Amino acid sequence: MSALKRVQQWATFARIWHIYDATWQNPFDSAQLLKKYLMGLYKPIYHPMNDCGDHVILINSADIALPGNEWQKRVYFHHTGYPGGASWTLAWDLHTKDPTMIMRKAVYNGMDGNLQRRYTMQRLHIFPDANVPNELLGNVSNQIRQIRPVPKRLDHYSEEEVQTAPKVIDYPKDYVVR
Amino acid sequence: MTEERNLCDLSFLKMNMLPLKLRPLLKALTSNIEIRNIALSSVLGIKEIKQVQNDKELVIYGEIQPSPREPYLLKNEDHCCPICASGLDVKHTDVLILSQFVRSDGCMLPKRITGLCKSQQKRMGSLVTMAQKAGLMPNLTPAWSKKDPKRRYRWKKFNTYFDESTIKC
Repeated sequence: MSALKRVQQWATFARIWHIYDATWQNPFDSAQLLKKYLMGLYKPIYHPMNDCGDHVILINSADIALPGNEWQKRVYFHHTGYPGGASWTLAWDLHTKDPTMIMRKAVYNGMDGNLQRRYTMQRLHIFPDANVPNELLGNVSNQIRQIRPVPKRLDHYSEEEVQTAPKVIDYPKDYVVR
Repeated sequence: MTEERNLCDLSFLKMNMLPLKLRPLLKALTSNIEIRNIALSSVLGIKEIKQVQNDKELVIYGEIQPSPREPYLLKNEDHCCPICASGLDVKHTDVLILSQFVRSDGCMLPKRITGLCKSQQKRMGSLVTMAQKAGLMPNLTPAWSKKDPKRRYRWKKFNTYFDESTIKC
């Protein structure tokens, strides 16, 4: 085996570490994207019996975004197993209690239920903010592109940018600016 | 160049000078009185005061200043409203455009001032609401607002985005 082939062999079977910034991203769309990397679905050598999934570090899970009024309408169900042990928690309530839980459940439920699912989940490292331990960050070699563009707030534009932006309407002559 | 007078001006009665027992009485009195301001010229209109000295007479007059928006205004040669003419597909994240239709306290400007057609006025109103709910224009809010979207109540403090296709017009 030549040196080139040997390196190619290592590169093929090595576990790659990806990083993903969840700021302003929909957790359920992101789950479908991350699933591909966690299970190794994008690799030509993929096979369900082949353990070729990658690691994904997900940062800023506290800043995920839900569409419309889903923070109030989405409900998470839990049952303790005892009679009367059912509980329903709204998405905003769950997110205040644990800012990584919605993201973790989205990825878990986005995958098929089989014996590999719990091991695949162990390769997902979720952090509520951008503070990642250095020993994990050192492994990262790829950044996964975000799905949605992060919107920019009006007060984060400079005064000059706001003033010189193209204007659609002008005030009437007698208008009193407030 | 403005002249204002209160019809019932009780400000000459200083609170500090009154005995303690009388203070609530004065408060009750003044709170019921309706105060009307009479202005002889527009109170906040942007005018520059100019003085011209002819021989023996001094002319003082206010000159309306050109709008700061004028050099950046899009050309509108069509007969339709500015948004229709521009052909823009405005999203709720385009805060640089949406903030032009909004007063400093976040209220939508009426149609007679924006000059938009009926459907676009309605659409812009919905987009402004979406941008405000998403916390993208926190500096254009009422004075009592908390400004920072992260300090809002319960679910309102979390990031939300909207689908423009849900607007019904």
